[in-house]
Amino acid sequence: MNRFRGNNANLRKIIYWMIKIFIPNVLLAVYIIGLLMITENLGRTTYIMLIAGMLFYFVTRLYFYYYKIGFFLWNNLKNLRQVVDEFKKGKFVLNETQIKQTDDISNVMKELLTVGKQFDSIVSSQSDELKKYHEIYSHIICSINSYFIVIDSRDRILYANEAFCKKFGIDSKNINGKGLNSIFYFVNTRLKIGISHVLGDHSPDAVVLKNVHLMSINRKSMIADLKISGMTVNGEEQAVIIIDDITDRFSKDYHASILSHLSETMRDEKETDSIFYNILVGVTSGSGLGFNRAMLFIAEDDLLAGRMAVGPDSFEEAIEIWNSLSSSDVDTVTAFPGDIKKGKLLEKVKSFSFSLAKENIFVAAFRDMERIHVRNAQSDQRVDDEIKKLMEVDEFIIMPLISLNRSIGLIVADNRYNMTGISNQSIDLLSVFSFQAAFLIESYLNLVEVKKEMKRLEERQEAIVESEKMAAVGRIASHIAHEIRNPLVTMGGYAKRILKHAAEGEIDAKKVSKSADIILKESERLEKTLSNVMDFTKPSKYIQEFNDINHIIRDTYTLLKNVLFERNLKIRMDLDENLPAVKSDFNQMKQVFLNLFQNAIDATPERGRIEIITGFDDSWVTITVRDSGTGITADNPDIIFEPFFTTKITGVGLGLANVKKIIKDHSGKIKALNRPEGGAEFLIKLPIPAAEQKQKDDEKKLN
Amino acid sequence: MGNIFNIKLTGPPEKTIPGDDMAKLLIVEDEESLRDLYAEELEESGFEVSRASNGKEAIDLVRKKDFDLVIMDIRMPEMDGIETLGKVISLERKIPVIIYTAYSNYKSNFMTWTADAYLTKSSNLDELKSKINELIVTV
Repeated sequence: MNRFRGNNANLRKIIYWMIKIFIPNVLLAVYIIGLLMITENLGRTTYIMLIAGMLFYFVTRLYFYYYKIGFFLWNNLKNLRQVVDEFKKGKFVLNETQIKQTDDISNVMKELLTVGKQFDSIVSSQSDELKKYHEIYSHIICSINSYFIVIDSRDRILYANEAFCKKFGIDSKNINGKGLNSIFYFVNTRLKIGISHVLGDHSPDAVVLKNVHLMSINRKSMIADLKISGMTVNGEEQAVIIIDDITDRFSKDYHASILSHLSETMRDEKETDSIFYNILVGVTSGSGLGFNRAMLFIAEDDLLAGRMAVGPDSFEEAIEIWNSLSSSDVDTVTAFPGDIKKGKLLEKVKSFSFSLAKENIFVAAFRDMERIHVRNAQSDQRVDDEIKKLMEVDEFIIMPLISLNRSIGLIVADNRYNMTGISNQSIDLLSVFSFQAAFLIESYLNLVEVKKEMKRLEERQEAIVESEKMAAVGRIASHIAHEIRNPLVTMGGYAKRILKHAAEGEIDAKKVSKSADIILKESERLEKTLSNVMDFTKPSKYIQEFNDINHIIRDTYTLLKNVLFERNLKIRMDLDENLPAVKSDFNQMKQVFLNLFQNAIDATPERGRIEIITGFDDSWVTITVRDSGTGITADNPDIIFEPFFTTKITGVGLGLANVKKIIKDHSGKIKALNRPEGGAEFLIKLPIPAAEQKQKDDEKKLN
Repeated sequence: MGNIFNIKLTGPPEKTIPGDDMAKLLIVEDEESLRDLYAEELEESGFEVSRASNGKEAIDLVRKKDFDLVIMDIRMPEMDGIETLGKVISLERKIPVIIYTAYSNYKSNFMTWTADAYLTKSSNLDELKSKINELIVTV
């Protein structure tokens, strides 16, 4: 505003001081000296003149003093007017203009006062507006769920919103200037990297971090989504960190994923303990996000027994877990629990069981199917010493596992290590989780029960099969006994007769020879039986070559032609000429057909009919032998394949058993059934070997 | 109190056996050599013996002739011993039956319990003979 500068200003000052001090004083001195020189004697008039001069001097000085003030204002008057004019227009620009001495200062002052008043009202109205906006903004900042902090490049907090302070339990007045280290128990590595990316590398984009594990200095855990963005205030780099608490959502997701994982893998051969462990890990949501410790009790008959526990055994262990959690990437938080951690807690819980008839707080929660939040175990009458000793904490929650309207067990959880209370929110979360877990446990236990029952049934079935086998052995043994006893009795009887006659001295040569003949015949029969049995039991060695089954059938037929003719039986052969060759033993197969045809001939009355049909499909050659005989009288047609089963007068009942054995040795199948129109039908299936195998065998043959 | 059961036991009609008259036996056995053996032995022991080779023949004979006792095998063609036994015991006149078989396991089969005796075949016929005598005397 001052336009006097340099020498000009100094000159002005000298002139000013000359006018102000020197000139009035000189004038006063000149007046006094002049007055004294003019007057010869100091009379009354002289004194009056002196006093009048002095008065004039003072008035003049006063005038100049006033003039002095006026002098400056006057000097700047033009400027001042222009400033005021500009100010009125809302501009603050000053032009250098010549001072007009004629301007009246009081008018300018008046206008200045008015402008000042206007300015005052503008400022005050604007500050009201500002206050209003400030209020609105701070309200918004306070009311948003997100927590946010502003930090400088040295990781010191410049601002933290109310929600943040409340969440992390920090006094909002003392937060400014605190380092992140004094707020977070562990500063997550991912957060560190994010901040340095924004502040150090001046990344223009905000850094977004998902599922970051944060833990406050008072060990309050949180999973959060973070957004870190940079800004510059007064030339200083700052970072705004917006923290979105997703712990609940994360816990819910974790619960859901654990449950679905369990229900998917439940059908696998999984141990019950593993299922229980997974569920409790769900309660602690990994390690430490949910409850610190969780225990599972399951009702068995009239006992409530501890089955599983999850949680650190000591504070040091808890720290270690949190440490690893906060430094590790998030994948370890979401990963499914691995092996069961064995510790003191698990040991203690597993050895804990008591009768449901007992009256304590666990039984009460179980029986009434209601959760109980124990806040002060020491003074709580319902908590007995046994439970106090087990829990070792004052506050815990007992959550019954309810499935299909009945309790199946309990989940007991606490926050032993982070020393924070159990919030209603976490109880609600646990309640929802318990409900689903109970359903899962119930169905798992049912599954186990069903499996056990199935195994028992299988064992019983095996036992039945075994006893059936024994019965078959008994039946076979009894058949053998019969086959042997009959000839033995006959032989013994006739031998005795000879002896008797000899003793009586009446030896009739004819009678003796008849007896001896019978004895001989019977001994032959015994031998035959024996060799049959031996044949049947001896391991067979087959020559495996490719044979045309049709050829074997025709060959066998020629052997029996005469018998068929004698008995006047009609035979019809319907043989498929395209029948593939079957790997088989020619002689054994011949034996099969011989036995089958013989069987059909024996069963068919004269003028009966026998049919032999061959055919094939993709993998089997089929041979059907039908007769119009008596059929099979046994309830189960397949019994005829059992050794020593026979309805014939002659024969030991090994023929069809042998047939079955041979077919089985050829990896084939044989079935007997009664035809609805009468007579029996035998169906044989022999496998057709794979084409390449046949080729290989053919090549071998050529070489 | 309690129940009173009245049981009337009617024995077979009185049969007078003349002194010279020999007891008439029927042997039912499918194996000829065995059948002959029994028949000869029992004839020598003073019984009148008839022979049948299966159940059907046996029933025909039983209907024609009054036998004092039937000795019967179990496994026979046409009609087996158990079926025959059923037919014999359903006859009006009660004839004692001895099951005489090479099988020992049929003894536990309740179908054979209606027989008066169950003996296992043996080359020594003494047991059979004493059983015949025992049964004929009581009749």
